Amino acid sequence: MSNDSILLLPIILPVVSGIICFCIPERFFKLRNFLALLSNFVLILIISGLWHSKTIYYVSDWFMSTAIFSLKADGFSKFILLWISIFSFLITLYAWSKMTGLKSRQFITYLLITCGFACGAVLANTLLVLLFFWEALLVTLYLFIVLGGENSYRTALKAFVLVGFCDFCFILGAAIYWKITGSFDFPAKPVQIEGLAILSFVMMIIGVTGKAGALPFHTWIPDAAIDAPVSFMAFLPGALEKLIGIYLLTRVCFQFFHLIPGSGSSIGLMTLGSLTIVIAVSMALIQKDVKRLLSYHAISQVGYMIVGIGTGIPAGIAGGIFHMLNNAIYKSALFLGAGSVEHRTGTTDLKSLGGLYSQMPLTGLCFVICAAAISGVWPLNGFVSKEMIIHGSLETGYKIFAIACWIGAILTFASFLKASHAMFFGEKNNKFSNVKENNFSIVFPMGVLALLCIGFGPFSRIPLNAISNSVAVVSGHDFSTHALNLFNPVSGVTILCLIFAFLLHRYGYLKSGKKAYLASEVVHRLPVINTLYNLAERKIFDIYEQGIRFIRVFSIALYYGFDRTADWLYERLVVESGVKAINALRSIHRGFVSGYVAWIFAGIIIIIIFTFAF
Amino acid sequence: MESSFFALGTIFVPVLGCITIPVAALLSKGFRNLWAMVLATITFILPVFLIPAVLQSPSGEIVYRYPSILNLEFILLIDGFSIFVSLVSSFIGALIVLYSIDYVSHNEFQTEYYTMVILFIGSMMGLVFSGNLIYMYLFWEIAAICSWRLIGFYRVPSHIIKADKAFLITFFGAVVMLFGFIQIYGSTHTFDMTAMRTVPVSSLAVFLILIGMFSKSATFPLHTWLPDAGVAPSTVTSLLHAAVLVKIGVYAFARLFCYTFKIPVEWNIAIPVLVMFSSMVSAGAAMVENDIKRILALSTVSQIGYIFLGFWTKTLTGVAGGALFILMHGLAKAGLFLCAGIIEHGTGKRDIRELGGLFTSMPFTAISFLACILSVIGVPPFGGFFSKFMMISGTVEAGRTGVASMGLFVAVMTAIYLFRLFHAVFFGEKKTDGHEGTSLMVGIVFVLAFLSLLAGIFISIPGSFAEASAFHLLEKFK
Repeated sequence: MSNDSILLLPIILPVVSGIICFCIPERFFKLRNFLALLSNFVLILIISGLWHSKTIYYVSDWFMSTAIFSLKADGFSKFILLWISIFSFLITLYAWSKMTGLKSRQFITYLLITCGFACGAVLANTLLVLLFFWEALLVTLYLFIVLGGENSYRTALKAFVLVGFCDFCFILGAAIYWKITGSFDFPAKPVQIEGLAILSFVMMIIGVTGKAGALPFHTWIPDAAIDAPVSFMAFLPGALEKLIGIYLLTRVCFQFFHLIPGSGSSIGLMTLGSLTIVIAVSMALIQKDVKRLLSYHAISQVGYMIVGIGTGIPAGIAGGIFHMLNNAIYKSALFLGAGSVEHRTGTTDLKSLGGLYSQMPLTGLCFVICAAAISGVWPLNGFVSKEMIIHGSLETGYKIFAIACWIGAILTFASFLKASHAMFFGEKNNKFSNVKENNFSIVFPMGVLALLCIGFGPFSRIPLNAISNSVAVVSGHDFSTHALNLFNPVSGVTILCLIFAFLLHRYGYLKSGKKAYLASEVVHRLPVINTLYNLAERKIFDIYEQGIRFIRVFSIALYYGFDRTADWLYERLVVESGVKAINALRSIHRGFVSGYVAWIFAGIIIIIIFTFAF
Repeated sequence: MESSFFALGTIFVPVLGCITIPVAALLSKGFRNLWAMVLATITFILPVFLIPAVLQSPSGEIVYRYPSILNLEFILLIDGFSIFVSLVSSFIGALIVLYSIDYVSHNEFQTEYYTMVILFIGSMMGLVFSGNLIYMYLFWEIAAICSWRLIGFYRVPSHIIKADKAFLITFFGAVVMLFGFIQIYGSTHTFDMTAMRTVPVSSLAVFLILIGMFSKSATFPLHTWLPDAGVAPSTVTSLLHAAVLVKIGVYAFARLFCYTFKIPVEWNIAIPVLVMFSSMVSAGAAMVENDIKRILALSTVSQIGYIFLGFWTKTLTGVAGGALFILMHGLAKAGLFLCAGIIEHGTGKRDIRELGGLFTSMPFTAISFLACILSVIGVPPFGGFFSKFMMISGTVEAGRTGVASMGLFVAVMTAIYLFRLFHAVFFGEKKTDGHEGTSLMVGIVFVLAFLSLLAGIFISIPGSFAEASAFHLLEKFK
């Protein structure tokens, strides 16, 4: 085993350059941005350099004899690392123009540090190292959202608490896993999900899916879409959290544990995924702000990945991981597109936007391509990965999960038809008649990502081979036997779903007096569904709001029931009875000599009785 | 030089040196402050010289015995754990003394203040190195007296009542504990801890001793004096919470129940539930309170529960985690109280409903405050993460997954109430004007916050030390 300290570079380089960037004064902001870009670029080069090498290890002592600092770069981790560095580079470039002043400096710093921590989490080869980097991301998550504006700290806390809760669940899962296997190291052989291992598995799943943004710990994402900078949304909930969340989900399911297709844990995971798809996409459909709309899609797409991996079948797993990559690409680009529009118009409200395509053709084109990709339009990348997931879930024999994916496909396409239509086509808003396309640093990242959406469709074999080869090392599945024929009845159903979505949009558009942003109102106003939507908008189903309410009541009960009661008992029982006792004693000391003499005699008699009796 | 010299110096430089402070005050105020600082620094430096001797010792500990009255030997017990705790306490204590120079500069009774603070630190040192239960009790009570004088420092009648409360509760606990010691003496005929290793003790004795520890380390239901003690100057509360007073109980717990006695099974079942319940009650109370120092005090009660839990596990991971948390919590909590001191100085207010939007006027305090709360919650890369993780893992290892889950739930509550405090003070609508503290004060809190971070990044240094001390503590129980 070679001990290669080059593995420290993907962690140290971004973190150190982040700190340096923070120290560079504002007047040299170009130097700062250039340095950030350069370090990201060097990171890409380093990881590309590692690409063809064998599995590399780095091991050194850490703080306890049982806790060593061990890193490992196998095919799967290198694959994820490469994409983390690419996204980090593109978002840094984007933020160059999008953000200015102190915010820009902080953003770049947090971005680089996040990138370093994420690389650490991906390279980790023991549970402790993983937890260290994984949980450290909480700090930058909080700081990123606080950056958004005056009142964004509330959302930052929400994100911190929800993700922190998931992280703590993961810690518990890891501690139980340690008890089972007796080591913090990643296991050589997966553990069967039975007995105490079930608890460990469930806790770890809550940890990883929560980080990736699945239900029910997702509710900070739509709030952050409004409060946090859009570049953050493109970077963290858009790309990075999916990459590392699903990366770890794969390891948990196939390296730590042995997820058997059709088992209770597999069905449980697929159910979680399906619920995430349907509930989140339903919420996305009715949104009238494009950033909020995208944020719900950021949640619903995670559902597909979880369904895919939850199948435990090669097609599903590869599809789930491919979908993770695809989603990171188009979701990130879509957020960047929304940010690009916001940069010029100052709004992301669908009601006030319209007809921007002629003024912002590049942004519009990229947005539309990515919207089509996320909706699973043939032949873009989203189509391929979604098909693989649907095939995988059908192969398990439970059609219900495939149906959930199709419902997701209909509503996804309908909501993106609405968003694209309302932003770039239809009636123009005179207020924005002078709006122009953004400059290179904003358009270029979107362009690259949109091209990848196109390229990874027809040439899906390239990423899929990389995924199959790298994941096979982790999961032990044979991916080569599964040749996916895309032209089959299943794809036919998917295409029918898309046609239905188009008709739904068209109908809604006409019904609402040709106002694209109201196209989804036909669904929104359906009886029962309307009530559910209203409850959801009032955050009745928000686990954070309800959780905080519960903790508040619980705390008040603890406070008055125990804390104050203990104090009251002390004050009343000890202090008051003490004062009474003192007064009683005082009353028998009246200062008369005869009284004291009587006491002395009484004492002597008691001593005599005591001595003779015992 | 003999290591007994350094150990005796660590105890008696502050304990006897504090008497010289009033003499120094006769010369000048500046000299008195400097002299107090010198004493505190020496107290911190001396234990460092004990490390090589302990490392070379084959048994991992050095014991010195000095004959004394009534056949009560004064026993110096020097091992990794006592050095670790003495270093942590004296280091944080020294930083607090340095901060005090600016903080109490406008108050009366400064000479008494410095005298008591140094004696306070000295009593902790004495307790830590005592290998005899009776001397441990003696130093325990000296600390109680110091805390009584210091809590009532401002001489306001209502403060004096709070000081009395603190003294009476801890004194009551200590006396009950003394009965426990005497009960043990009945069967062992010695107070020498080194002679009683792995001796089984009765349930009653454990109960009596626990009352002492719980009262000193402010654990439910004997905890309410600690939030009330918040009337003291912030430096004093910082000292109580981070360096000296509340750490006495947990230190004694580790020393007696990990190193010395074997406790009955029923207490092994009850203790983790008791301490985690205490953590939960105080976390709940912290969520409801509105006074900065009361919230921070309740958070100490809550975090102390973890330390007890870590030591209870008697696993290497759990005990090392507990020892590490004494350090990490000490650094962060000292930082938080000193930040509270700056806020109180700068705005004259302590009620979070009257504060808000101070981030712009106190940026350094705010950043330090944030770093400290992250460490207390247990978020990496801050030091608190490792210690909390180890305590939780140790609990799972000891077979109490339910208690570990409770611990993690309390960690979530900790995050919520500490961020509630942070946000109420530094974010939102600006309700009052404030100014940043003096550069010395801000510098100290910044150092504490930075150390919380460094302790996490370079965890191998305190981590290996904590592991070695935990290993030695548990040696005979393996």
